Amino acid sequence: MASPRYITPQKISLLVLMYLYLVNDDDPSPATIPVLSFILSHSISWVPSNARRRSSNARSRPSNAVSRPSPRHADASFPIETYIDVLHGYDSDMPGLSLLDVYLKHLWGMDSFHALHNLFENIGNVMLTSRASLTGEELTDFGLITETSPLGLFVRRARLEFNRLQLDDTMKIWSAFLAFRAPTAKWSERLAGIASPGVDINTTNMGLKPGDDLYEVVYGHLAQDVEKSAEVSIDDLERLLEFQLEKLQRLGCRVPDDMKNQLGNMLGSSGVVLRQSHLVKFFDAWKAGVFTTAFDQLHRYYDYAMQTREKIHYQYALLHMAILQADFNCFGEAVAAINETIATARENQDMTCLNFSLSWLSHMSKAYPKQMKGVGYMGMLGSERDGLTFLKSKAKETKMYNLLSATLLNEAKFYMSSGESIPRALECLYQASHLNIKEDIKNHGSHMLLVSTLYSRLGIAHLSSVHTDLFLHCFQAECPIDERIRASCRSALSTIPCGRYEEGLRILKTIDVSAHRSLKFHQYLLLCTGLIKLRRAICWTDWEACKHYISSLRPDSSTDPELSFMLSEAHIDYLIAREYYTDAFDAIEALTVSRKEDSSDILQRISMLLAKAELFRKVGKPARGFSIALRAASVSFKARLMPSLWSAVGLLASILNSLGEFEPAMRLLRAIIPQCLENEDHRLLGTLYSHMGDSYMGLAGTTDISTHRRLMSRLAKMKRGVRFIDKTRECHERTESIEGIRDQYVKKIILCKFHRLPEGADIVAQELAVAWEQGMEKFARH
Amino acid sequence: MATLSQADEAQLKAQLQDAVVSCTERCLYHSAKWAAELLNSLPTSDDDGLDTDVDSPMSDAHPPQTPANHVSKDAAELRLEAREAHKFLLAKTYFDCREYDRCAAVFLPSVLPRGSSHPVTSPAGQPKHSEKGKEKAGTSSNSKIPISSVQGLSQKSLFLALYARYIAGEKRMNEDSEMILGPQDGGVTLNKELPGISAILQEWFNSLPMSGRQPQGWLEYLYGIVLAKGKNEKLAVDYFVRSVHQYSYNWGAWSELSNLLGTIEELNQVIPRLPQNIMTFIFHVSASQDLYQSNDQVHASLAQIMSVFPTSAFLKTQRALLHYHTKDFDEAEQIFSDLLKSDPHRIDSLDNYSNILYVMGMRAKLAFLAQLATTTDKFRPETCCVVGNYYSLKSEHEKAVMYFRRALTLDRNFLSAWTLMGHEFVEMKNTHAAIESYRRAVDVNRKDYRAWYGLGQTYEVLEMHSYALFYHQRAAALRPYDPKLWMAVGQCFGKVGKITNGIRAYKRALVAGSYYDAGIGSSFGSGEVSGLGGGILDPEVLYQIALLYERIHDMPESAAYMELVLAQEEGPEYEEAGEAGGGVGVTPTTSKARLWLARWEYMRGMYQRAMELANELCQDGVEVEDAKALVRDIRARIEREKGEGRT
Repeated sequence: MASPRYITPQKISLLVLMYLYLVNDDDPSPATIPVLSFILSHSISWVPSNARRRSSNARSRPSNAVSRPSPRHADASFPIETYIDVLHGYDSDMPGLSLLDVYLKHLWGMDSFHALHNLFENIGNVMLTSRASLTGEELTDFGLITETSPLGLFVRRARLEFNRLQLDDTMKIWSAFLAFRAPTAKWSERLAGIASPGVDINTTNMGLKPGDDLYEVVYGHLAQDVEKSAEVSIDDLERLLEFQLEKLQRLGCRVPDDMKNQLGNMLGSSGVVLRQSHLVKFFDAWKAGVFTTAFDQLHRYYDYAMQTREKIHYQYALLHMAILQADFNCFGEAVAAINETIATARENQDMTCLNFSLSWLSHMSKAYPKQMKGVGYMGMLGSERDGLTFLKSKAKETKMYNLLSATLLNEAKFYMSSGESIPRALECLYQASHLNIKEDIKNHGSHMLLVSTLYSRLGIAHLSSVHTDLFLHCFQAECPIDERIRASCRSALSTIPCGRYEEGLRILKTIDVSAHRSLKFHQYLLLCTGLIKLRRAICWTDWEACKHYISSLRPDSSTDPELSFMLSEAHIDYLIAREYYTDAFDAIEALTVSRKEDSSDILQRISMLLAKAELFRKVGKPARGFSIALRAASVSFKARLMPSLWSAVGLLASILNSLGEFEPAMRLLRAIIPQCLENEDHRLLGTLYSHMGDSYMGLAGTTDISTHRRLMSRLAKMKRGVRFIDKTRECHERTESIEGIRDQYVKKIILCKFHRLPEGADIVAQELAVAWEQGMEKFARH
Repeated sequence: MATLSQADEAQLKAQLQDAVVSCTERCLYHSAKWAAELLNSLPTSDDDGLDTDVDSPMSDAHPPQTPANHVSKDAAELRLEAREAHKFLLAKTYFDCREYDRCAAVFLPSVLPRGSSHPVTSPAGQPKHSEKGKEKAGTSSNSKIPISSVQGLSQKSLFLALYARYIAGEKRMNEDSEMILGPQDGGVTLNKELPGISAILQEWFNSLPMSGRQPQGWLEYLYGIVLAKGKNEKLAVDYFVRSVHQYSYNWGAWSELSNLLGTIEELNQVIPRLPQNIMTFIFHVSASQDLYQSNDQVHASLAQIMSVFPTSAFLKTQRALLHYHTKDFDEAEQIFSDLLKSDPHRIDSLDNYSNILYVMGMRAKLAFLAQLATTTDKFRPETCCVVGNYYSLKSEHEKAVMYFRRALTLDRNFLSAWTLMGHEFVEMKNTHAAIESYRRAVDVNRKDYRAWYGLGQTYEVLEMHSYALFYHQRAAALRPYDPKLWMAVGQCFGKVGKITNGIRAYKRALVAGSYYDAGIGSSFGSGEVSGLGGGILDPEVLYQIALLYERIHDMPESAAYMELVLAQEEGPEYEEAGEAGGGVGVTPTTSKARLWLARWEYMRGMYQRAMELANELCQDGVEVEDAKALVRDIRARIEREKGEGRT
């Protein structure tokens, strides 16, 4: 049997209860509030707003004794026993009868098909038709409701839908209703007032019993199967699917398996195919990475949507298609589709769609510049800055606060990546945040992430991680799963410089697999995990593992650009560590060129400069890297990229050291080390400390030892140098960099030898051996 | 007649059995159903033994088809049938699969003239009685038809083939028809096969005397249908009579015949020409019922027939309808209710039942009936009518119209749906649609007084009284004993200024009203007239008569009728029969009459009486203001007179 459109037995029973409430509202009884909240919770469609949730929370503390923990929001197909729970505990006006008894009396008072019609007629009559008739007299007479009240809306909708029904559909609902109330038969028998044994007064009057021919013709099916499907109306199903869609669209997740089964059962048994179900399937397939199915379902959905002559759907179909194509790296098709979207939206004057498409396009050209250029996209809005300004003004014009907020964030990102003033970026962020709060835009995720990025670039790692955590704690539920995963990965990756690899891996492991189950997210997570492991392997000098990771983590065009850069960086680090300097140089050059082409983030370009300078230092020609390091330092200072600045200065210091200018090198390092300490980047800190130690050693070396005092000062400098060597070792121990540790021990051994202290050298050598062994053990364990 | 001998009964059974088989062979499903129902409604008390002996060689010797029946088949036909047996089976299966054209093509040459020149296509232009001219025209056009190919067929095969063509034509006609009451829907779409069938049949019947073949009645039946469709009704009646003479157990022929009879006089003319058997009795009862004849005689014949077929649903329905026509709703409802119980799947005539429930205002029961009918089959015109009636009772007229429309889409000739739809349109103030619906109803069946009456009412709404008068007269002619119709006639006469005619019509209404009122309790009276004093007279009618008399300035007569109106309040004081208890009590009409009388007495100067009447009015609480004003006037007059008397 096909599902009814709107009316279900549950709704009829609600109407009965409502009628009861309306006609017996003489004096407020303790039952009024629970009954009303029960009616409301089941009659009003669930809207995901905070206000609603609060009210349903309030409902979950009903004062009656029998209360079960009530469902979080209304279940469309609740059994009749629910009423028993709700109404049992209250007394009615009539002595000796509980509210439940009165209710059942009314329910069973509907003794014929005609009575069902009457119910809808009567309940319409108790509703005020207009404001004009709202005189005080009538109000006191009857517990009337107005048309626009929540109850009134429900009643009107129900009446409208009922009137639209054909007789045979009405009959189906009537028999479903009979089946629905059947469980309460034993309750009603108790009541003296209604001793009607049969379901229908007509059959009783005609003296029919179950088994008679006539009875069997009309009500015979009741004894057989109870048609369950009638309990969920198409309207309910639609709402269910809308809910799913909303989840899918907003969170970008997939439909959980058990829910999928349940939905499949409900939709399959109802015999109707709802358009929305295709859309749900589309999103599900998309997120699951099944391109062809997604494509097919999208087309199917919009084909059926066309049927209802909603031409408005067309541009959205194209938009979805563009996003889908882009998601599967078909940028050419995506650009074509989005261009048509823009044209159609312009034609139909659909500003929302137009602005959204433009914003998406600018986002894409930013995120995948090479690919977009490759397919001939030249930029529709002129330069990026113009584009942002345009979008901002458009969004303001059309009051699309969602878009405005997103554009502001993009602007902030733009300022950051182009190395422009940080205050302006912060200003944009604050504006966006203000909008989010004021207009209740669910854009917290990207905002928080951006703030955290900003702080990490400013070298305030603590604030950065606080923001990531804040996001994960407060806004996780209502933000896209994409952002959730990004946040988790960011906090995991932030453990690399501190050397807390285990913690990072643990964070990644704790991400609930069932929450995403999407190929894209899966790959993202895989890359993050791989990156952490690769970094660790480089530190452990586990070259076999490194090789394996590098080959398996080769980024392709579909990977997140940021992540693929990080991977390349790690690759370069590996090459340097393996002393494949030529290869490293080539890789750096290639990456630099590509970064320049893409006019990408300034941070990435600086890190390439730094890598190059570092490479020169490694090959023993630090002076060649001087200008590079200097440039990196000045640029990063301008763009307030503190961590880069520090490493640039560190490089400068090492160059100065190599040039014998120990004093200025030391002064440079002293200026930055305190700041760097705050950033918890042990790797950087270790490098800086080692430079510092070198400076001291250099100073000691250049100190004149003619006098005793001078000798003492030389010794003091050497002591300091040794302390810094130890500190460096500590840092390297934290990051588990075996080579770093070894170097420091070697340095110490040399020092001991220099001082002709072979015992000391032995001790240090033993320590080194122990440390090495420990490191190897650890590495063997993994 | 009342009791059948066992031999008679056995023969009847055999004949009915044969009828079922013959009708089924010729694909006359409804007639077959009817006969089978009747066959099974025979009492089975002492025949059980016989019936269980089906396997005995005795009954084998009497298979229904064997010419043991009185319609003995002639050898020639049997031979022909035997020769065509296989082809006949083929044609029959085609028919059962609703491939009518294919079925017809089995026996008939595929190129048959569509008869564009045939007179039947222009029935309107055809003078009704010019049978000769028609035959001539027919023969002239028939000359092209290869009649020889048809002559070689057995009658059974020929009937099936032609009937298939007829049905195919009907089907096409329905397909070509426009939406019900759509802009193009004039109800004029014709069955395009009719001329061809007519031509063949005419030729066949013309050559019948020469060929020496014995007619079986079936072809006559078909020719009757074709003629009736061509509005050649007299000839059609002739052929139906011939058909039932040759084969009595084809109920289709009877019901077609009954449809052609517009008045009781016509029925009475036909009756002597019919064969004397039980089918004629049944026909008589059913035709009388159709013509709203519900007198003792009909009831008696019905009772007789029902003694033969005690459980026949058809006969029970006839009885219920008879009760319905005499407005004995309780009885009718009871019968229908019992019918429901005994055969819950039966939908036939449920539309009439729903009318009864509608009139009685039994909403719950009507809802139940709608539920029942819809459960059984929601695409039957009867079902749609029941549902439509239910919605109409709930004042959901749009939905009601929708269901009536559906009923008509299922069967364009479904009479009651047209009429009921007209009623709905009246309720929806759509007079034009209402008129069209009623008109179509009348076109389908001229015996439907409700449609005539509805037409009259609608024209009255449009203030076209002389027009309305015609329709009301038609309605009243159909049901001479319905006061409502006579009242309408009277009212129209009054409106168009023919006051004496109006008074006569009203008086007729009084007569009719008293007849029915008397009829309820008693056993349907002697039918004709029980005079003015038969019971309570309708005060409304009396009041109208009085008003009309007033208009022709016959004041004493008018006053007398006004007094009569008042008299109806108590009623029985001058009643001879003493059967109806109590009067109508105080009604708006009597109050109006009282006010009128009071004023009249006042004008005449009979102040005392006027005072009395006015005070009564005040007591009754009707028209109090007018009455009080009158009392004041009277007091003033009396005072003045007293004063005058004193001075």
